[in-house]
Amino acid sequence: MKLALSLSRRLLFGALLCLLLLLAFLGLRAYMHNPGRGLPYRDSFAKGTANEWRAFGGTWELVNGMMRNDSDERGAKLLTGSPYWHNYSVEADVYLLGSSGDAGLIIRSSDEEEGVNSYSGYYAGMRTRDNSFVLGRADHGWMEVTKRVSDSSRIRPFRWYHLKLLAYECQIAALVTMPPQAARTFLGFTDSNCAQSGRVGLRSYSSGGIWRNVVVQPATRQDLAEMLQNAKSQNEPASSDAALHDAKFFGSQHPQEDGRANAHSDATTQSIVSLRLASYARPTTATIRGVVILTAPRLYVQDFTGGIYIPKPKAPLLKVGDEVEVTGEVHPGDFSSTMEHATVNVLWARTPMPPMSVTASQASTGKYDATFIEVRGHLAGKERGPENTLILDLDEGTQSFRAIMNPGRGSYLFSKLRPGSSLRLRGICVVDPALTHNLTPFVLLLRSNEDLDVIAGPPWWNTGHAIAVVFIVLLLALVFNLAYHRIAHWRLQGVLEERQRLAHEMHDTLAQSFAGIGFQLQAIRNRIPKENSHILEQLDLASNLVRHSHEEARRSIATLHPESLESENILSALDLCARRMVEGGSVQVVSERDGNVRPVSLRIADALYRVGQEAIANAVRHANPTLLCIRLKFDENCACLQIEDNGTGFTQGNGLLGFGIRGMRRRAQSISAKFEIQSSLSVGTRVQISAPLPPRVTLINWPNLFWRYVREHWIDARPSKQADSYPYRG
Amino acid sequence: MPDLRSKPIRILIVDDHPVVLAGLTSMLATQDGMEVAGAASSGEEALDMLRANPADLLLLDLRMPGMSGIDTLHALKRSNISIRVIILTSFETDEDIYRAVQAGALGYLLKGAPQSDMIEAIRTVYSGKRYLPHHIAARLAERMMRTNLTARELEVLQMLARGLTNKEIGNALNISGNTVRNHVNSIIEKLDVSDRTEAATTAIHRGIIEVPNY
Repeated sequence: MKLALSLSRRLLFGALLCLLLLLAFLGLRAYMHNPGRGLPYRDSFAKGTANEWRAFGGTWELVNGMMRNDSDERGAKLLTGSPYWHNYSVEADVYLLGSSGDAGLIIRSSDEEEGVNSYSGYYAGMRTRDNSFVLGRADHGWMEVTKRVSDSSRIRPFRWYHLKLLAYECQIAALVTMPPQAARTFLGFTDSNCAQSGRVGLRSYSSGGIWRNVVVQPATRQDLAEMLQNAKSQNEPASSDAALHDAKFFGSQHPQEDGRANAHSDATTQSIVSLRLASYARPTTATIRGVVILTAPRLYVQDFTGGIYIPKPKAPLLKVGDEVEVTGEVHPGDFSSTMEHATVNVLWARTPMPPMSVTASQASTGKYDATFIEVRGHLAGKERGPENTLILDLDEGTQSFRAIMNPGRGSYLFSKLRPGSSLRLRGICVVDPALTHNLTPFVLLLRSNEDLDVIAGPPWWNTGHAIAVVFIVLLLALVFNLAYHRIAHWRLQGVLEERQRLAHEMHDTLAQSFAGIGFQLQAIRNRIPKENSHILEQLDLASNLVRHSHEEARRSIATLHPESLESENILSALDLCARRMVEGGSVQVVSERDGNVRPVSLRIADALYRVGQEAIANAVRHANPTLLCIRLKFDENCACLQIEDNGTGFTQGNGLLGFGIRGMRRRAQSISAKFEIQSSLSVGTRVQISAPLPPRVTLINWPNLFWRYVREHWIDARPSKQADSYPYRG
Repeated sequence: MPDLRSKPIRILIVDDHPVVLAGLTSMLATQDGMEVAGAASSGEEALDMLRANPADLLLLDLRMPGMSGIDTLHALKRSNISIRVIILTSFETDEDIYRAVQAGALGYLLKGAPQSDMIEAIRTVYSGKRYLPHHIAARLAERMMRTNLTARELEVLQMLARGLTNKEIGNALNISGNTVRNHVNSIIEKLDVSDRTEAATTAIHRGIIEVPNY
């Protein structure tokens, strides 16, 4: 009753616990999936943090409290927010840095990858190339609605535009407010099979951009209506809710349609590598053409032959990837040249140059000085340098080098980098002592966060872990050892219990039956007339055999009792047994022990005890001795029992005696023991059994034993002949 | 001495094992001057049979399920059935022998004993004497001798047997009267007796202490 009650209480408790866990899980899930989690959101660019943003391409950096992408990469994205945001709007001030691309905002983005349209969501942006405002759906492909902006307020770079993008159910609306007269342009459409939810993002295409005041807030139908109202109030006819009738796919843009007319090609341009041939003594003026590979903290330009450092240039705002023409004074260096007093003209924007993959040793030769390279290394240490730069110390093989990161968005990543990590870095290889301080052969100037990939975390194996592992292994070994002994103890306990049970069983059946049969034989014998001496003899033998068997059974039962099994008890048990047998007689019993007692297995203890009993019984019954000596000797690798008497001795065992000797020999054989009987008439008999023991493992001898084991089991792969390696005599 | 010829010894055998019962019955039936009055497979059954039909001698097994041999001996005493009992068992532990003899058994035999011993035992016990084979007797004596009294308790017991009071013993041994009383209590408990007088007589009887001679 009590049990049932406690059981049902336990069940109830378990059920409640399960329910609670389920509720907690559901609650957590509901919280995580809540489309309003984290809304409204406002950027903290002004405070210099942007850890929540994740970049896909581009060189995203915080500059003057604004998020800036200096790369002309096509489709560079920076995303944040919850993938479960559903009805919301995002607005920001957007500043275009290029005249051939576009920049804007992404809404309801998911499934992002690096690449032009590698995301699923909606994008709205200003495009300078065809002076239009763009809204479209990206789904690893692109469908757009465009609207040309009137010439009076044409879209130009280097201006702030305020862009607002709203998604409500399946209606997407975008509104841009343009300087100088705050003219508004609206775009919107209904996507019947719309993306339901997603993050927000900043995106630019073939042009850099700057973003600030990013605000995300939940949107309602009313917000949408308001936006529509705004759109209607403007002069231009709004093609609101325009279907995707004029949507078209486009994948290629042609930067040649560049608005800026400063693209002039000079036939006198030189390759950068050829500048190294210029005179050291007298500076010459030269013109080169190349692609901007780094703008801050230093300007580097690279063409197909090499790179060049341009200190303090006269230049417009430059972005990574701009094709430029530079004219200036050439100063050849050891590994690369510099161009002072240079004037930089932007020809057009193009895709940033891919890095050259080299090893650290190759880079340290200086051959790649001032070029954009990719190199691998293991992070050895990190520190903060002057002007808030972040310095990474790296090793690759025997070569060590440094990488310098700009602060800002990098600091979060920097704080997360763990020494020992394997990194892949892209940056400008610089051997200029001004940066290397002659500590390392070269320094890598990273353009942004995205130039650093963690290939693998620090190796798991270090000193602390090794010590921990050793400790754990020791602990486990200890636990294992304890468990092993406990199990062995239980097993022994089980065996002992079983033996006890067996003893009772034998007593109740076997021993009693022998007694009964003995009485029955006696009864038969009593009825047979004296003259049938032949039969009487046989009956007597039968009686004796039964009595012997009875005694044997009784001894078996005695042996099965647990107290006779301890090795130190064998001798005392045998001594007691002998004293019992000779009780009332004039036999002197002497028992001796030799050597240190060692624990022996049950089987061996059994066998020793039984052989001892039998030998004592034989001596007392048949030999008629005056002295009986029991000796138990423990050796390095054997336990030896010796029963010696000074009785009459015998020549050959016959009848019951032979029976007993055969039994003893059989028992000895069962434990691979050596068994000997030496007997001479009127001198005495000596019975000796030597049971091999497993060698004892000690601190000193274990290597020896281990070697012996290996030799026996692995080298001499012959079948073990231990069982019959002892000759039997006697 | 009863006349063996005119009146056979009526024997009741109690053993839970049918093979033993059958064997003993057959064997004793062949003996002159003996008659198997019955064979019971448990103590209870034996008591019932004895009440209905008294016998001269009981061959009693010690270990039986339910009522053991010792229990049966006690039950016989309680129901005022006076009968001579021989314990016939396969056990020869000191404690078994001791308890059987304490409970009033006159003989103690092992089941493996030869027929001649058994016949002798039955005749001896029937005639009112004890029959204990010499090794059993030796074991019994050993058990009787064995006490777990400490040396100090033996000293106290020695003086107790001479009739000294606790105070006198304390003075003689230089210990307090209370300590002596503790020793005496412990002796009484160990010898399983009711008072100090009985403790002294039992100790003398068992040979634990020498009989004081004066």
